[in-house]
Amino acid sequence: MRRHSGSAHRGLGEWLVQRVSALYLAGFTFWLALRLGLGWPADYTAWRTWLGGGGVRLAFGVFFLSVALHAWVGMRSVFLDYLKPAWLRFTLQMLTSVGLLVLLLWAAEILLIEARP
Amino acid sequence: MYKWNTQAIGMMENNKKRPVHLDLLHIRLPVGGVVSILHRITGVALVLSLPAAIFLLRESLLDPEGYGRVSALLQSLPMRILLYLLLLAVGHHFFAGVRHLLLDIDIGISRSGSRRGAWLVLAAVAAITAMGLFIIW
Repeated sequence: MRRHSGSAHRGLGEWLVQRVSALYLAGFTFWLALRLGLGWPADYTAWRTWLGGGGVRLAFGVFFLSVALHAWVGMRSVFLDYLKPAWLRFTLQMLTSVGLLVLLLWAAEILLIEARP
Repeated sequence: MYKWNTQAIGMMENNKKRPVHLDLLHIRLPVGGVVSILHRITGVALVLSLPAAIFLLRESLLDPEGYGRVSALLQSLPMRILLYLLLLAVGHHFFAGVRHLLLDIDIGISRSGSRRGAWLVLAAVAAITAMGLFIIW
């Protein structure tokens, strides 16, 4: 941790969140590509059975959480680097936060209720 | 005095003619910069694709009809092209991200090393671009 922040202008916390979530996302993407590359679940029943598994749902849950955090830090860097007016940064950052939170809750609902076997 | 003045005016005229390359077509970005800006563009694109991805996941899980609808939709030509672009975006963001993580632990941090890393990222994306054509079609 000799260098820090890069384009995330504030704090070690965001830097760390971005990196830790990046590690999980990379691992998850690799696993998913391998799993689906080896053979897509053949039909609706197989698809549901696979996604209904506790381990798979947990993996997807952590994935959505990581995506939300990673996207939050990333979008923030983009806004800070390319937008000057403070009100515009603030508005877009607020919209992003609310949007990501809604998506996260939606994903949680799908994984906890719809995907339940 | 008179002579000095014309010289000064001449210099100012020259200053005005300096090439100021804010024209995007004239800026030559180093390869690391290309990888970096693409990392940002693909990142924003992936965030924007999230709602559709979650919606399709939900539809596919609800009932066999929904599964059939999603499956048919994803096999249509426009969606295949979109999925292909999504694959490229994920691929680029993945490899450029791995490069970034390696830079954090001082791997490929030297001038030549970082340039080599950036070219490696572009090569990996080119490989995916070619492989993706086989997977999608």
